[in-house]
Amino acid sequence: MRIKSDFTIQKVGGAYVAVPVGESSRHFHGMVRLNESGAFVWGLMAEKDCSEEELVDAILARYEVEREVAAADVSRVLAVLREHQILV
Amino acid sequence: MLIIELAGVRIRIENKYPFVEQQCRDYLAEGEDFSFSVAVSDEEIALEKGDGAFSEGYCESICVYRHICEELPRYRVFLMHSSILEVDGYAYAFAAKSGVGKSTHTALWLKNIPNARVLNGDKPLLRLEEDGSLTAFGTPWNGKENWGENRSAPLAAICFLERGEVNEIRSAAEDEVLSRLVHQLYLRGDRDSVILRLQLLDAMLRAVPFYVLHCNISDEAALVAYRAMKKN
Repeated sequence: MRIKSDFTIQKVGGAYVAVPVGESSRHFHGMVRLNESGAFVWGLMAEKDCSEEELVDAILARYEVEREVAAADVSRVLAVLREHQILV
Repeated sequence: MLIIELAGVRIRIENKYPFVEQQCRDYLAEGEDFSFSVAVSDEEIALEKGDGAFSEGYCESICVYRHICEELPRYRVFLMHSSILEVDGYAYAFAAKSGVGKSTHTALWLKNIPNARVLNGDKPLLRLEEDGSLTAFGTPWNGKENWGENRSAPLAAICFLERGEVNEIRSAAEDEVLSRLVHQLYLRGDRDSVILRLQLLDAMLRAVPFYVLHCNISDEAALVAYRAMKKN
């Protein structure tokens, strides 16, 4: 899975904000807020197709956290992205 | 065709109908040069009009401002859907969901706060300055009350309005500011333009204090708001 190409993410204040540009902005008017690790996961999926396991591995390579914590993090972010139909 | 100046930016409007010229008469710029030009197609005007009763000229004007607001972020200027009042040289912005009472509260300021005047009752522009501060500008697009003037003032504070039984004002945390602001800012357009606006939003969070006012429609509502937001 990966992020639809017509979204963009920016750091705004203390958080990251993802909003639609182009076609997606016609049916999605809000924004998605992510913390730093959420934005990291976003960045990976914006570049290429990733499996959930690859995302967890990438988190583990970057942050010193337990696998369960990383997996829960990824799962939470993916749920939000799925809910807003941001993934393809 | 006309050239206007909004928030220090010179814009050429290639209009088909006279409505927008009449509307912009207080904003005409001298000379021939301009930073960008906008034109609206017949298709866009028809789309804006739909089955509604508004004239083609009015619909053209709505589209003109939409195009202008898509371009302006390149000049560090952006639209914030709000009512902005000026008191003693400082500007105060009120944002609210439609129907909450932005106009009513604005009228309460005019009645109760000495020297209060409306810069723009609905669609003012904000410009991010080099020092990180924001300046508020009137525009010809004023909302249905048509409150506004071709003036500008440094923005002192932004307040989100909510209806309440009693009048209470509090500071708004960043999380809350973000989720409220996203409804008032015009975040559509092409990628570069949206990115620019998010960068402006980031700067905006640092530029002024934000408040949430729960208010009724008494005179006290304006006084409670002004006391808390007042610069100095």
